[in-house]
Amino acid sequence: MAETKDKARTAADVWLIGAAAWAFPGAGHYLQGKWLRGLLITLVVCGMFAIGLAFGGHLFGLGGKEALGASKLLQLPPTIANLGTGILYLVCWASNSGFNDSAEYAKLATFEYGNTFLLVAGLLNYLAMLDAFDIAVGRKP
Amino acid sequence: MTHLLVMILFAALVSVVFCLIAKDTLKDRLLYGLKVFAEFVGIGLALAWILYFLPL
Repeated sequence: MAETKDKARTAADVWLIGAAAWAFPGAGHYLQGKWLRGLLITLVVCGMFAIGLAFGGHLFGLGGKEALGASKLLQLPPTIANLGTGILYLVCWASNSGFNDSAEYAKLATFEYGNTFLLVAGLLNYLAMLDAFDIAVGRKP
Repeated sequence: MTHLLVMILFAALVSVVFCLIAKDTLKDRLLYGLKVFAEFVGIGLALAWILYFLPL
C-alpha cells in the first residue's frame, strides 16, 4: 500500500481545507501545494462568475420581495448553486450587486446564459471542494 | 458573441474542471477533457438541429 505524506493531517486540517476550498475557488488545492490545479480552478470559476455577471445574469437569494410564501422554495436550489462560489457570492450579497433581475436585464439576449454561467460556476466549485477534501484525506493523489 | 461561441466557451471551461478532478495523469486529463468538450459541443449541436426541425 502506498504511503502518502498527507497521512499526518488531522481531521481539523481536512475540514479547514474543505472550508477554504468553498470560500475561495482553488484555495483548497493551494493549501496542499497543488498550485497549477488550484490556479486553473480559480481562473475557471472566477472567470465563469465574471462572464455570468457580464452577460446580465443575476444571482439568486432567499430575501427577494417578489418571492412570497412557498414560492421561495423554488429559489432554494439555484441559491444553493450560487452559494458554491463562496466569497464571490458573499461579496455580491454584501454589496447588493448582481441580484438585479429586472425586466431591463431579463430582455437581454444573454440573460439566461449569464444565469447558467453563474449557477455552473458555483456547482463546479462544489466539485473542486470535494476534490480538495478527497486529496486531503488521502483518497486521491 | 454568437450562441455557438457562448456554448463553446461554456464547454471549454467546464471541461477544464471536469478533467482536473476526474483524472490523475496529464495524458488522461487531456484525453478526458477533449472527450468531454467534444461531447458537450456535439450533443449541443445535435439537439439544436433536432429543435430546428420541430414546429415549436
